[in-house]
Amino acid sequence: MTAELIGAWVVVFLTLSIFSYLFDDNPFYKAAEHLFIGVSAGYWAVISFWQQIQPNLFGRLWPELESLAGEKTLMQSVWYGIYEVLNFITTGFGVLDRSVFPEGGIEGYDEIRFIYIIPFILGIFMLLRLVPKVGWLARWAIAYIVGMTAGLRFYSFLNSDILSQIKASAVNFTSDWGTMINGLIVFVGTLTGLIYFFFSKEHKGSFGTLSKIGIYFLMIKFGASFGFAVMGRISLLIGRINALKDYSAAEYNYATPIILGIIIITLVIWSLKGNRNQSELTG
Amino acid sequence: MNLLKNIFIQLGSLDRRVIFLIVGLSVLVPLVKPDWVSLPVRPKPHSQIVFDELNKLKQGDRVLLSFEYGPSTMPEIHPMSIAMLHHLFSKDVKIYATALWADGNFMSTDAFSDIAPKYEKEYGIDYVNLGYKPGNEAVVKGIASDIRALYTVDLKGNPINDIPMMQEVHNIEDFDFLFSLSAGFPGSKEWVQYATDPKNIPMSTGCTSIQVTDIVPYVENGQIKGILAGMPGAAEYEKLVETELNSQQQEIQPGEATRMMAAQSIAHVVIVLFIIFGNITYYLTRKNQRKGN
Repeated sequence: MTAELIGAWVVVFLTLSIFSYLFDDNPFYKAAEHLFIGVSAGYWAVISFWQQIQPNLFGRLWPELESLAGEKTLMQSVWYGIYEVLNFITTGFGVLDRSVFPEGGIEGYDEIRFIYIIPFILGIFMLLRLVPKVGWLARWAIAYIVGMTAGLRFYSFLNSDILSQIKASAVNFTSDWGTMINGLIVFVGTLTGLIYFFFSKEHKGSFGTLSKIGIYFLMIKFGASFGFAVMGRISLLIGRINALKDYSAAEYNYATPIILGIIIITLVIWSLKGNRNQSELTG
Repeated sequence: MNLLKNIFIQLGSLDRRVIFLIVGLSVLVPLVKPDWVSLPVRPKPHSQIVFDELNKLKQGDRVLLSFEYGPSTMPEIHPMSIAMLHHLFSKDVKIYATALWADGNFMSTDAFSDIAPKYEKEYGIDYVNLGYKPGNEAVVKGIASDIRALYTVDLKGNPINDIPMMQEVHNIEDFDFLFSLSAGFPGSKEWVQYATDPKNIPMSTGCTSIQVTDIVPYVENGQIKGILAGMPGAAEYEKLVETELNSQQQEIQPGEATRMMAAQSIAHVVIVLFIIFGNITYYLTRKNQRKGN
Protein backbone atom coordinates (compact mmCIF):
# COMPACT_ATOMS: atom_id res chain seq x y z
CA MET A 1 0.00 0.00 0.00
CA THR A 2 2.87 2.38 0.80
CA ALA A 3 4.29 2.06 -2.72
CA GLU A 4 0.82 2.58 -4.20
CA LEU A 5 0.31 5.62 -1.98
CA ILE A 6 3.64 7.16 -2.95
CA GLY A 7 2.87 6.37 -6.60
CA ALA A 8 -0.50 8.12 -6.33
CA TRP A 9 1.06 11.23 -4.79
CA VAL A 10 3.73 11.36 -7.49
CA VAL A 11 1.08 10.91 -10.22
CA VAL A 12 -1.06 13.72 -8.78
CA PHE A 13 1.92 16.04 -8.32
CA LEU A 14 3.17 15.52 -11.88
CA THR A 15 -0.31 15.81 -13.44
CA LEU A 16 -1.08 19.04 -11.60
CA SER A 17 2.41 20.36 -12.37
CA ILE A 18 1.78 19.89 -16.08
CA PHE A 19 -1.71 21.42 -15.80
CA SER A 20 -0.17 24.43 -14.02
CA TYR A 21 1.13 25.53 -17.43
CA LEU A 22 -2.45 26.65 -18.19
CA PHE A 23 -1.86 29.37 -15.57
CA ASP A 24 1.55 30.28 -16.91
CA ASP A 25 5.02 28.87 -17.54
CA ASN A 26 6.31 28.09 -14.04
CA PRO A 27 8.89 26.00 -12.11
CA PHE A 28 6.41 23.15 -11.39
CA TYR A 29 5.74 22.72 -15.10
CA LYS A 30 9.44 22.93 -15.99
CA ALA A 31 10.40 20.34 -13.36
CA ALA A 32 7.70 17.91 -14.54
CA GLU A 33 8.61 18.43 -18.19
CA HIS A 34 12.33 17.79 -17.61
CA LEU A 35 11.58 14.74 -15.49
CA PHE A 36 9.29 13.34 -18.19
CA ILE A 37 11.89 13.78 -20.93
CA GLY A 38 14.70 12.36 -18.81
CA VAL A 39 12.76 9.33 -17.61
CA SER A 40 11.42 8.61 -21.14
CA ALA A 41 14.90 8.77 -22.68
CA GLY A 42 16.40 6.59 -19.94
CA TYR A 43 13.63 4.02 -20.10
CA TRP A 44 13.78 3.84 -23.89
CA ALA A 45 17.57 3.40 -23.84
CA VAL A 46 17.44 0.60 -21.25
CA ILE A 47 14.61 -1.22 -23.04
CA SER A 48 16.35 -0.94 -26.42
CA PHE A 49 19.55 -2.35 -24.99
CA TRP A 50 18.07 -5.27 -23.05
CA GLN A 51 15.35 -6.20 -25.54
CA GLN A 52 17.25 -5.75 -28.78
CA ILE A 53 21.00 -5.15 -28.61
CA GLN A 54 21.87 -7.70 -25.91
CA PRO A 55 19.73 -10.69 -27.00
CA ASN A 56 19.52 -10.04 -30.75
CA LEU A 57 22.95 -8.59 -31.58
CA PHE A 58 25.32 -9.89 -28.90
CA GLY A 59 23.22 -13.07 -28.68
CA ARG A 60 23.83 -13.80 -32.34
CA LEU A 61 27.52 -12.94 -32.20
CA TRP A 62 28.25 -14.90 -29.03
CA PRO A 63 25.58 -17.58 -28.54
CA GLU A 64 25.82 -19.99 -25.63
CA LEU A 65 28.88 -22.22 -26.23
CA GLU A 66 26.97 -25.32 -25.13
CA SER A 67 24.39 -24.86 -27.87
CA LEU A 68 27.02 -24.73 -30.66
CA ALA A 69 27.34 -27.88 -32.73
CA GLY A 70 30.67 -29.75 -33.03
CA GLU A 71 34.01 -29.46 -31.27
CA LYS A 72 35.25 -26.12 -30.02
CA THR A 73 37.68 -24.68 -32.58
CA LEU A 74 40.64 -22.34 -32.13
CA MET A 75 38.73 -19.57 -33.88
CA GLN A 76 35.86 -19.95 -31.45
CA SER A 77 38.30 -19.68 -28.55
CA VAL A 78 39.69 -16.42 -29.97
CA TRP A 79 36.17 -15.14 -30.65
CA TYR A 80 35.02 -15.88 -27.12
CA GLY A 81 38.24 -14.29 -25.86
CA ILE A 82 36.93 -11.00 -27.31
CA TYR A 83 33.65 -11.76 -25.51
CA GLU A 84 35.55 -12.00 -22.22
CA VAL A 85 37.37 -8.71 -22.94
CA LEU A 86 34.02 -6.99 -23.54
CA ASN A 87 32.71 -8.55 -20.35
CA PHE A 88 35.75 -7.25 -18.46
CA ILE A 89 35.05 -3.71 -19.72
CA THR A 90 31.28 -3.82 -19.03
CA THR A 91 31.80 -5.10 -15.50
CA GLY A 92 33.93 -2.06 -14.69
CA PHE A 93 37.17 -4.04 -15.12
CA GLY A 94 35.93 -6.95 -13.10
CA VAL A 95 34.43 -4.96 -10.22
CA LEU A 96 30.74 -5.64 -10.98
CA ASP A 97 28.91 -8.94 -11.53
CA ARG A 98 28.42 -10.28 -15.08
CA SER A 99 25.20 -9.03 -16.67
CA VAL A 100 25.53 -8.04 -20.33
CA PHE A 101 27.81 -10.95 -21.21
CA PRO A 102 26.84 -13.98 -19.11
CA GLU A 103 29.20 -16.90 -18.45
CA GLY A 104 29.58 -19.17 -21.50
CA GLY A 105 27.68 -17.00 -24.00
CA ILE A 106 24.16 -15.64 -24.45
CA GLU A 107 21.17 -17.98 -24.57
CA GLY A 108 18.88 -17.97 -27.62
CA TYR A 109 20.78 -18.95 -30.79
CA ASP A 110 22.69 -22.07 -31.77
CA GLU A 111 25.26 -20.72 -34.24
CA ILE A 112 27.61 -17.75 -34.49
CA ARG A 113 26.36 -15.30 -37.14
CA PHE A 114 29.39 -13.24 -38.14
CA ILE A 115 27.32 -11.12 -40.55
CA TYR A 116 26.05 -9.28 -37.47
CA ILE A 117 29.51 -7.73 -37.05
CA ILE A 118 28.38 -5.20 -39.70
CA PRO A 119 25.46 -3.76 -37.65
CA PHE A 120 27.70 -3.90 -34.56
CA ILE A 121 30.32 -1.75 -36.31
CA LEU A 122 27.67 0.59 -37.75
CA GLY A 123 26.25 0.98 -34.24
CA ILE A 124 29.71 1.94 -32.94
CA PHE A 125 30.04 4.39 -35.85
CA MET A 126 26.80 6.02 -34.75
CA LEU A 127 28.22 6.62 -31.28
CA LEU A 128 31.37 8.16 -32.79
CA ARG A 129 29.31 11.28 -33.47
CA LEU A 130 30.30 12.21 -29.95
CA VAL A 131 33.98 12.33 -31.01
CA PRO A 132 34.39 15.32 -33.39
CA LYS A 133 37.52 13.99 -35.17
CA VAL A 134 35.91 10.75 -36.32
CA GLY A 135 32.31 11.94 -36.20
CA TRP A 136 32.05 11.65 -39.99
CA LEU A 137 31.91 7.86 -39.63
CA ALA A 138 28.38 8.23 -38.24
CA ARG A 139 27.28 9.26 -41.75
CA TRP A 140 27.89 5.69 -42.93
CA ALA A 141 25.46 4.35 -40.35
CA ILE A 142 22.93 7.08 -41.16
CA ALA A 143 23.30 6.38 -44.89
CA TYR A 144 22.59 2.70 -44.24
CA ILE A 145 19.49 3.53 -42.17
CA VAL A 146 18.16 5.99 -44.76
CA GLY A 147 18.81 3.62 -47.66
CA MET A 148 17.36 0.61 -45.87
CA THR A 149 14.25 2.53 -44.77
CA ALA A 150 13.67 3.95 -48.25
CA GLY A 151 13.95 0.50 -49.79
CA LEU A 152 11.77 -1.08 -47.14
CA ARG A 153 9.08 1.57 -47.43
CA PHE A 154 9.02 1.87 -51.19
CA TYR A 155 7.23 -1.35 -52.10
CA SER A 156 4.84 -1.39 -49.15
CA PHE A 157 3.86 2.26 -49.61
CA LEU A 158 3.37 1.79 -53.35
CA ASN A 159 1.24 -1.29 -52.77
CA SER A 160 -0.90 -0.29 -49.76
CA ASP A 161 -1.15 3.48 -50.13
CA ILE A 162 -0.95 4.20 -53.84
CA LEU A 163 -2.14 1.23 -55.91
CA SER A 164 -4.78 0.06 -53.43
CA GLN A 165 -6.09 3.59 -52.90
CA ILE A 166 -6.24 4.32 -56.65
CA LYS A 167 -8.24 1.12 -57.02
CA ALA A 168 -10.52 2.18 -54.15
CA SER A 169 -11.23 5.58 -55.71
CA ALA A 170 -12.61 4.02 -58.91
CA VAL A 171 -16.40 4.16 -59.30
CA ASN A 172 -18.20 0.85 -59.45
CA PHE A 173 -21.11 1.41 -61.85
CA THR A 174 -22.50 -2.08 -61.26
CA SER A 175 -23.23 -1.40 -57.57
CA ASP A 176 -26.34 0.16 -55.99
CA TRP A 177 -27.14 3.86 -56.27
CA GLY A 178 -25.88 4.80 -52.78
CA THR A 179 -22.47 3.16 -53.30
CA MET A 180 -22.23 4.68 -56.78
CA ILE A 181 -22.92 8.22 -55.51
CA ASN A 182 -20.41 7.70 -52.66
CA GLY A 183 -17.86 6.48 -55.20
CA LEU A 184 -18.47 9.51 -57.40
CA ILE A 185 -17.97 11.90 -54.47
CA VAL A 186 -14.68 10.16 -53.57
CA PHE A 187 -13.59 10.26 -57.22
CA VAL A 188 -14.38 13.96 -57.64
CA GLY A 189 -12.78 14.76 -54.26
CA THR A 190 -9.58 12.88 -55.13
CA LEU A 191 -9.31 14.43 -58.59
CA THR A 192 -10.04 18.03 -57.56
CA GLY A 193 -7.83 17.70 -54.48
CA LEU A 194 -4.95 16.64 -56.70
CA ILE A 195 -5.69 19.51 -59.12
CA TYR A 196 -5.35 21.97 -56.23
CA PHE A 197 -1.79 20.72 -55.65
CA PHE A 198 -0.87 20.96 -59.36
CA PHE A 199 1.11 24.18 -59.59
CA SER A 200 2.54 23.88 -63.14
CA LYS A 201 -0.60 25.48 -64.58
CA GLU A 202 -2.22 28.72 -63.45
CA HIS A 203 -5.44 28.13 -61.47
CA LYS A 204 -7.76 30.04 -63.86
CA GLY A 205 -10.97 29.27 -65.74
CA SER A 206 -12.37 25.74 -65.47
CA PHE A 207 -9.04 24.54 -64.00
CA GLY A 208 -9.39 27.20 -61.29
CA THR A 209 -12.98 26.12 -60.59
CA LEU A 210 -11.91 22.50 -60.17
CA SER A 211 -9.08 23.64 -57.91
CA LYS A 212 -11.61 25.59 -55.80
CA ILE A 213 -13.81 22.49 -55.49
CA GLY A 214 -10.66 20.68 -54.35
CA ILE A 215 -10.19 23.28 -51.60
CA TYR A 216 -13.69 22.53 -50.27
CA PHE A 217 -12.90 18.82 -50.11
CA LEU A 218 -9.61 19.57 -48.35
CA MET A 219 -11.40 21.86 -45.88
CA ILE A 220 -13.88 19.10 -45.07
CA LYS A 221 -10.94 16.76 -44.42
CA PHE A 222 -9.17 19.31 -42.22
CA GLY A 223 -12.41 19.99 -40.35
CA ALA A 224 -12.87 16.27 -39.69
CA SER A 225 -9.23 16.00 -38.55
CA PHE A 226 -9.67 18.99 -36.25
CA GLY A 227 -12.86 17.53 -34.77
CA PHE A 228 -11.15 14.20 -34.10
CA ALA A 229 -8.10 16.00 -32.64
CA VAL A 230 -10.35 17.88 -30.20
CA MET A 231 -12.09 14.63 -29.30
CA GLY A 232 -8.71 12.96 -28.65
CA ARG A 233 -7.46 15.79 -26.45
CA ILE A 234 -10.69 15.85 -24.45
CA SER A 235 -10.39 12.07 -23.96
CA LEU A 236 -6.92 12.55 -22.50
CA LEU A 237 -8.17 15.34 -20.26
CA ILE A 238 -10.97 13.06 -19.05
CA GLY A 239 -8.40 10.37 -18.27
CA ARG A 240 -6.29 12.70 -16.15
CA ILE A 241 -9.25 14.30 -14.36
CA ASN A 242 -10.65 10.83 -13.65
CA ALA A 243 -7.31 9.82 -12.10
CA LEU A 244 -7.22 13.03 -10.03
CA LYS A 245 -10.77 12.33 -8.85
CA ASP A 246 -9.82 8.75 -7.82
CA TYR A 247 -6.74 9.93 -5.93
CA SER A 248 -8.70 12.53 -3.97
CA ALA A 249 -10.20 9.71 -1.86
CA ALA A 250 -9.35 9.09 1.81
CA GLU A 251 -7.48 5.86 0.94
CA TYR A 252 -4.89 7.98 -0.88
CA ASN A 253 -4.74 10.48 2.00
CA TYR A 254 -6.55 13.14 -0.09
CA ALA A 255 -3.59 13.48 -2.46
CA THR A 256 -5.38 15.66 -5.04
CA PRO A 257 -6.82 18.42 -2.80
CA ILE A 258 -3.65 18.65 -0.69
CA ILE A 259 -1.23 18.89 -3.63
CA LEU A 260 -3.60 21.20 -5.53
CA GLY A 261 -3.69 23.52 -2.52
CA ILE A 262 0.10 23.50 -2.16
CA ILE A 263 0.62 24.21 -5.88
CA ILE A 264 -1.95 27.04 -5.92
CA ILE A 265 -0.47 28.72 -2.83
CA THR A 266 3.09 28.39 -4.19
CA LEU A 267 2.06 29.77 -7.59
CA VAL A 268 0.27 32.73 -5.99
CA ILE A 269 3.37 33.58 -3.94
CA TRP A 270 5.61 33.07 -6.97
CA SER A 271 3.32 35.25 -9.06
CA LEU A 272 3.18 38.02 -6.45
CA LYS A 273 6.97 38.07 -6.34
CA GLY A 274 6.83 39.17 -9.97
CA ASN A 275 8.36 36.09 -11.55
CA ARG A 276 5.62 35.59 -14.12
CA ASN A 277 6.10 36.22 -17.80
CA GLN A 278 3.91 39.04 -19.01
CA SER A 279 2.44 36.90 -21.76
CA GLU A 280 -0.76 37.40 -23.71
CA LEU A 281 -3.50 35.75 -21.68
CA THR A 282 -6.67 36.80 -23.46
CA GLY A 283 -8.61 34.49 -25.73
CA MET B 1 -29.41 44.78 -29.15
CA ASN B 2 -26.38 47.00 -28.66
CA LEU B 3 -26.00 45.66 -25.14
CA LEU B 4 -25.93 42.10 -26.49
CA LYS B 5 -23.38 43.13 -29.11
CA ASN B 6 -21.18 44.71 -26.43
CA ILE B 7 -21.42 41.59 -24.28
CA PHE B 8 -20.23 39.47 -27.20
CA ILE B 9 -17.38 41.88 -27.96
CA GLN B 10 -16.35 41.85 -24.29
CA LEU B 11 -16.42 38.05 -24.32
CA GLY B 12 -13.85 38.16 -27.11
CA SER B 13 -11.26 39.51 -24.67
CA LEU B 14 -12.06 36.91 -22.02
CA ASP B 15 -9.03 35.58 -20.12
CA ARG B 16 -8.26 32.22 -21.72
CA ARG B 17 -7.86 30.66 -18.26
CA VAL B 18 -11.58 31.14 -17.71
CA ILE B 19 -12.18 29.03 -20.84
CA PHE B 20 -9.80 26.35 -19.51
CA LEU B 21 -11.68 26.36 -16.20
CA ILE B 22 -15.09 25.97 -17.89
CA VAL B 23 -13.81 23.10 -20.08
CA GLY B 24 -12.28 21.48 -16.98
CA LEU B 25 -15.56 21.77 -15.07
CA SER B 26 -17.53 20.39 -18.04
CA VAL B 27 -15.36 17.27 -17.75
CA LEU B 28 -15.23 17.08 -13.96
CA VAL B 29 -18.95 17.44 -13.19
CA PRO B 30 -20.16 14.42 -15.27
CA LEU B 31 -17.34 12.32 -13.77
CA VAL B 32 -18.22 13.26 -10.18
CA LYS B 33 -21.98 13.14 -10.72
CA PRO B 34 -22.61 10.55 -13.48
CA ASP B 35 -26.33 10.36 -12.58
CA TRP B 36 -26.83 13.95 -13.71
CA VAL B 37 -25.90 13.15 -17.30
CA SER B 38 -26.84 9.74 -18.63
CA LEU B 39 -26.43 9.34 -22.38
CA PRO B 40 -27.00 6.11 -24.35
CA VAL B 41 -24.17 4.48 -26.35
CA ARG B 42 -25.22 3.22 -29.80
CA PRO B 43 -22.67 1.20 -31.80
CA LYS B 44 -21.80 2.69 -35.18
CA PRO B 45 -21.22 0.48 -38.28
CA HIS B 46 -17.41 0.51 -38.05
CA SER B 47 -17.45 -0.67 -34.41
CA GLN B 48 -20.03 -3.30 -35.31
CA ILE B 49 -17.74 -4.61 -38.09
CA VAL B 50 -14.85 -4.93 -35.61
CA PHE B 51 -17.06 -6.80 -33.18
CA ASP B 52 -18.47 -9.09 -35.88
CA GLU B 53 -15.01 -9.92 -37.23
CA LEU B 54 -13.73 -10.83 -33.76
CA ASN B 55 -16.92 -12.66 -32.92
CA LYS B 56 -16.41 -14.89 -35.96
CA LEU B 57 -13.23 -16.34 -34.41
CA LYS B 58 -13.49 -19.89 -33.13
CA GLN B 59 -12.07 -21.63 -30.07
CA GLY B 60 -8.31 -22.11 -30.45
CA ASP B 61 -7.90 -19.48 -33.19
CA ARG B 62 -4.81 -17.30 -32.87
CA VAL B 63 -4.98 -13.53 -32.59
CA LEU B 64 -1.98 -11.25 -32.63
CA LEU B 65 -2.73 -8.26 -30.41
CA SER B 66 -0.32 -5.40 -30.83
CA PHE B 67 -0.02 -2.76 -28.10
CA GLU B 68 1.11 0.50 -29.69
CA TYR B 69 0.13 3.01 -27.06
CA GLY B 70 1.30 4.32 -23.75
CA PRO B 71 0.03 6.07 -20.62
CA SER B 72 -0.58 9.31 -22.53
CA THR B 73 -3.26 7.70 -24.73
CA MET B 74 -4.50 5.21 -22.15
CA PRO B 75 -7.98 6.76 -21.67
CA GLU B 76 -8.80 6.18 -25.34
CA ILE B 77 -7.16 2.82 -26.06
CA HIS B 78 -6.92 0.91 -22.79
CA PRO B 79 -10.72 0.41 -22.46
CA MET B 80 -10.57 -1.23 -25.92
CA SER B 81 -7.82 -3.60 -24.72
CA ILE B 82 -9.81 -4.57 -21.64
CA ALA B 83 -13.03 -5.16 -23.61
CA MET B 84 -11.11 -7.09 -26.25
CA LEU B 85 -9.52 -9.43 -23.70
CA HIS B 86 -12.98 -10.07 -22.22
CA HIS B 87 -14.30 -10.84 -25.69
CA LEU B 88 -11.42 -13.06 -26.85
CA PHE B 89 -10.91 -14.94 -23.58
CA SER B 90 -14.63 -15.65 -23.37
CA LYS B 91 -14.34 -17.29 -26.81
CA ASP B 92 -11.21 -19.28 -25.79
CA VAL B 93 -9.16 -17.62 -28.51
CA LYS B 94 -5.38 -17.76 -28.06
CA ILE B 95 -3.84 -14.31 -27.68
CA TYR B 96 -0.30 -13.38 -28.70
CA ALA B 97 0.63 -9.90 -27.52
CA THR B 98 3.37 -7.78 -28.94
CA ALA B 99 4.34 -4.12 -28.62
CA LEU B 100 5.78 -1.65 -31.11
CA TRP B 101 6.00 0.99 -28.40
CA ALA B 102 8.16 0.57 -25.28
CA ASP B 103 5.26 1.75 -23.10
CA GLY B 104 3.11 -0.95 -24.68
CA ASN B 105 4.72 -3.45 -22.28
CA PHE B 106 3.12 -1.72 -19.30
CA MET B 107 -0.24 -1.55 -21.04
CA SER B 108 -0.30 -5.22 -22.05
CA THR B 109 0.94 -6.43 -18.65
CA ASP B 110 -1.70 -4.34 -16.90
CA ALA B 111 -4.51 -5.56 -19.17
CA PHE B 112 -3.56 -9.26 -18.91
CA SER B 113 -3.07 -9.18 -15.14
CA ASP B 114 -6.49 -7.59 -14.81
CA ILE B 115 -8.51 -9.88 -17.12
CA ALA B 116 -6.72 -13.25 -17.54
CA PRO B 117 -7.38 -14.46 -13.93
CA LYS B 118 -11.13 -13.77 -14.33
CA TYR B 119 -11.27 -16.37 -17.13
CA GLU B 120 -8.69 -18.65 -15.44
CA LYS B 121 -6.36 -18.31 -18.42
CA GLU B 122 -2.86 -19.68 -18.14
CA TYR B 123 0.23 -17.89 -19.38
CA GLY B 124 1.97 -19.75 -22.20
CA ILE B 125 -1.09 -21.92 -22.87
CA ASP B 126 -3.87 -19.38 -23.48
CA TYR B 127 -1.91 -16.17 -23.91
CA VAL B 128 1.65 -15.01 -24.29
CA ASN B 129 3.24 -11.60 -24.09
CA LEU B 130 6.18 -11.24 -26.46
CA GLY B 131 6.85 -7.67 -25.43
CA TYR B 132 8.43 -4.70 -27.11
CA LYS B 133 11.14 -4.70 -29.75
CA PRO B 134 12.68 -1.47 -31.04
CA GLY B 135 12.87 -1.07 -34.80
CA ASN B 136 9.44 0.26 -35.84
CA GLU B 137 8.47 -1.07 -39.29
CA ALA B 138 11.44 -3.47 -39.27
CA VAL B 139 9.80 -5.24 -36.32
CA VAL B 140 6.52 -5.58 -38.24
CA LYS B 141 8.44 -6.91 -41.20
CA GLY B 142 10.27 -9.33 -38.89
CA ILE B 143 7.02 -10.65 -37.39
CA ALA B 144 5.62 -11.02 -40.90
CA SER B 145 8.57 -13.14 -42.06
CA ASP B 146 10.11 -14.92 -39.03
CA ILE B 147 9.16 -14.26 -35.43
CA ARG B 148 12.06 -16.30 -34.06
CA ALA B 149 14.58 -14.12 -35.87
CA LEU B 150 13.28 -11.25 -33.77
CA TYR B 151 12.15 -12.79 -30.51
CA THR B 152 14.31 -15.27 -28.65
CA VAL B 153 12.55 -14.74 -25.33
CA ASP B 154 9.15 -13.38 -24.28
CA LEU B 155 8.57 -10.37 -22.02
CA LYS B 156 9.14 -12.52 -18.93
CA GLY B 157 12.43 -13.87 -20.27
CA ASN B 158 11.13 -17.37 -21.12
CA PRO B 159 12.78 -18.82 -24.25
CA ILE B 160 10.25 -18.70 -27.11
CA ASN B 161 10.86 -22.36 -27.98
CA ASP B 162 9.87 -23.43 -24.45
CA ILE B 163 6.43 -21.76 -24.64
CA PRO B 164 3.76 -24.34 -25.58
CA MET B 165 1.53 -21.99 -27.60
CA MET B 166 4.52 -20.77 -29.65
CA GLN B 167 5.32 -24.23 -31.03
CA GLU B 168 3.36 -23.84 -34.27
CA VAL B 169 3.84 -20.11 -34.69
CA HIS B 170 6.58 -18.95 -37.03
CA ASN B 171 5.31 -15.85 -38.78
CA ILE B 172 2.23 -13.69 -39.38
CA GLU B 173 0.64 -16.36 -41.60
CA ASP B 174 0.16 -18.56 -38.54
CA PHE B 175 -2.33 -16.07 -37.07
CA ASP B 176 -6.04 -15.95 -37.87
CA PHE B 177 -6.46 -12.28 -37.07
CA LEU B 178 -4.43 -9.22 -36.15
CA PHE B 179 -5.63 -6.39 -33.98
CA SER B 180 -3.63 -3.21 -33.63
CA LEU B 181 -4.24 -1.00 -30.59
CA SER B 182 -2.60 2.05 -32.04
CA ALA B 183 -1.80 5.57 -30.91
CA GLY B 184 0.48 6.65 -33.76
CA PHE B 185 3.73 5.63 -35.43
CA PRO B 186 4.56 2.78 -35.60
CA GLY B 187 1.05 1.40 -35.58
CA SER B 188 -1.89 0.31 -37.70
CA LYS B 189 -0.53 1.81 -40.93
CA GLU B 190 2.71 -0.16 -40.64
CA TRP B 191 0.81 -3.39 -39.94
CA VAL B 192 -1.20 -2.83 -43.13
CA GLN B 193 1.84 -1.93 -45.23
CA TYR B 194 4.31 -4.57 -44.05
CA ALA B 195 2.25 -7.46 -42.77
CA THR B 196 -1.46 -7.83 -43.48
CA ASP B 197 -1.55 -6.48 -47.06
CA PRO B 198 1.39 -8.53 -48.39
CA LYS B 199 0.39 -11.67 -46.46
CA ASN B 200 -3.38 -11.22 -46.80
CA ILE B 201 -4.18 -11.56 -43.08
CA PRO B 202 -7.40 -9.94 -41.78
CA MET B 203 -6.86 -7.10 -39.35
CA SER B 204 -8.79 -4.49 -37.40
CA THR B 205 -7.72 -1.50 -35.43
CA GLY B 206 -8.59 0.50 -32.38
CA CYS B 207 -6.91 3.86 -32.60
CA THR B 208 -6.81 7.32 -31.10
CA SER B 209 -9.27 9.90 -32.44
CA ILE B 210 -6.50 11.94 -34.01
CA GLN B 211 -5.51 9.01 -36.26
CA VAL B 212 -8.99 8.22 -37.52
CA THR B 213 -8.95 10.33 -40.68
CA ASP B 214 -5.62 8.78 -41.69
CA ILE B 215 -6.81 5.22 -41.11
CA VAL B 216 -10.32 5.47 -42.57
CA PRO B 217 -9.15 5.15 -46.24
CA TYR B 218 -7.78 1.67 -45.37
CA VAL B 219 -11.06 0.80 -43.67
CA GLU B 220 -13.19 1.96 -46.59
CA ASN B 221 -11.01 -0.06 -48.93
CA GLY B 222 -11.33 -3.22 -46.83
CA GLN B 223 -7.61 -3.33 -45.98
CA ILE B 224 -8.68 -2.93 -42.33
CA LYS B 225 -11.91 -4.55 -41.13
CA GLY B 226 -13.68 -1.81 -39.19
CA ILE B 227 -12.23 0.68 -36.76
CA LEU B 228 -12.75 1.57 -33.10
CA ALA B 229 -12.40 5.34 -33.27
CA GLY B 230 -11.12 6.81 -30.02
CA MET B 231 -13.09 6.81 -26.80
CA PRO B 232 -16.53 6.65 -28.49
CA GLY B 233 -15.33 3.59 -30.45
CA ALA B 234 -14.14 2.01 -27.20
CA ALA B 235 -17.49 2.69 -25.52
CA GLU B 236 -19.40 1.22 -28.48
CA TYR B 237 -17.26 -1.92 -28.47
CA GLU B 238 -17.65 -2.24 -24.69
CA LYS B 239 -21.41 -2.08 -25.18
CA LEU B 240 -21.32 -4.81 -27.86
CA VAL B 241 -19.13 -7.08 -25.73
CA GLU B 242 -21.29 -6.47 -22.68
CA THR B 243 -24.44 -7.41 -24.62
CA GLU B 244 -22.77 -10.52 -26.05
CA LEU B 245 -21.42 -11.75 -22.70
CA ASN B 246 -24.68 -11.00 -20.90
CA SER B 247 -26.52 -13.09 -23.52
CA GLN B 248 -24.19 -15.96 -22.54
CA GLN B 249 -25.10 -15.42 -18.86
CA GLN B 250 -21.63 -14.04 -18.12
CA GLU B 251 -21.38 -11.13 -15.71
CA ILE B 252 -19.49 -8.07 -16.95
CA GLN B 253 -19.45 -4.54 -15.62
CA PRO B 254 -19.84 -1.51 -17.93
CA GLY B 255 -16.39 -0.48 -19.14
CA GLU B 256 -14.31 2.58 -18.37
CA ALA B 257 -14.99 4.28 -21.74
CA THR B 258 -18.77 3.98 -21.31
CA ARG B 259 -18.50 5.75 -17.95
CA MET B 260 -16.39 8.54 -19.44
CA MET B 261 -18.60 9.19 -22.49
CA ALA B 262 -20.92 11.60 -20.65
CA ALA B 263 -17.95 13.85 -19.84
CA GLN B 264 -16.80 13.57 -23.47
CA SER B 265 -20.22 14.62 -24.82
CA ILE B 266 -20.65 17.56 -22.42
CA ALA B 267 -17.12 18.82 -23.12
CA HIS B 268 -17.85 18.67 -26.87
CA VAL B 269 -21.04 20.72 -26.44
CA VAL B 270 -19.09 23.31 -24.44
CA ILE B 271 -16.35 23.50 -27.09
CA VAL B 272 -18.88 23.82 -29.92
CA LEU B 273 -20.57 26.66 -28.00
CA PHE B 274 -17.20 28.36 -27.56
CA ILE B 275 -16.51 28.04 -31.29
CA ILE B 276 -19.91 29.60 -32.10
CA PHE B 277 -19.38 32.41 -29.55
CA GLY B 278 -15.86 32.96 -30.83
CA ASN B 279 -17.06 33.33 -34.42
CA ILE B 280 -19.91 35.69 -33.51
CA THR B 281 -17.50 37.80 -31.43
CA TYR B 282 -14.96 37.85 -34.24
CA TYR B 283 -17.63 38.87 -36.77
CA LEU B 284 -19.00 41.65 -34.53
CA THR B 285 -15.53 42.96 -33.62
CA ARG B 286 -14.51 43.11 -37.29
CA LYS B 287 -17.77 44.83 -38.22
CA ASN B 288 -17.21 47.34 -35.41
CA GLN B 289 -13.65 48.01 -36.56
CA ARG B 290 -14.84 48.62 -40.13
CA LYS B 291 -17.28 51.21 -38.85
CA GLY B 292 -14.32 52.89 -37.16
CA ASN B 293 -15.46 52.34 -33.57
